[in-house]
Amino acid sequence: MSAPGASTPTPEVLDRMWSRIMRTLIDTGRPPHHAELAHPLGVSVAESRALLRAVLQAYPIGWLHPETDYIASFPPLNGLPTQYRIAVRGEEKWFAQCGFEATSATWLFPGETVRINAACLDCGDPTTVEMRDGRLMRVDPPTVVGHLNYGFGPSRGQPAHL
Amino acid sequence: MNLFRSEEHARRWELFRPESEEGFIALPELTGFFGTETRQHMLDPDYLSRWYPRRAAERREYLTRIGKASPFWLGTPAPSA
Repeated sequence: MSAPGASTPTPEVLDRMWSRIMRTLIDTGRPPHHAELAHPLGVSVAESRALLRAVLQAYPIGWLHPETDYIASFPPLNGLPTQYRIAVRGEEKWFAQCGFEATSATWLFPGETVRINAACLDCGDPTTVEMRDGRLMRVDPPTVVGHLNYGFGPSRGQPAHL
Repeated sequence: MNLFRSEEHARRWELFRPESEEGFIALPELTGFFGTETRQHMLDPDYLSRWYPRRAAERREYLTRIGKASPFWLGTPAPSA
């Protein structure tokens, strides 16, 4: 929490908030609401909301659904469903923010085989990538490729699927 | 930032931009790009304060190493911009 009277959260409390959000995503497949995080973090609900916004300022690759306090995206995972479904131990309950971030989900599940299942945006046929601890284990079809439709700079502000 | 079954599938995608021909990345390079050191510390309790701030420089270094040090990939303005 911030020091009494201070408005800027400490790095430690931002780390705790970030880790709580990510841990909830990993454990449940969905992002938490800031009200759920208030008691675990030992802050008020209002402080938790402010912390959430501060975390997303420090971690701008994630975002809230517009005009809400709902976490839409917290990469590499996503609260809002995408075509990038993630399965671990046969349980498919996560979504990745995008196809690139999907390949980073492996680092959230050490020692586990993480399967990325996605329907191809061209034909709708399945694309499957399996990874374990960062290593590619299976790619189907073997020709699967990544594609960036907008350059990283100009892509800011574009829909995530682009 | 998508995965396609092949480059041909990407080019057939209705929203494919011809300017994005340089936007292809092979899967082994992509997993390296999104598997650099900072990514491997996402479960650390100090990830946000210690590791995330290093990510941008690490990405630039990796993209340079794989020959993608262009404005398109680095997110820097094009020379003509």
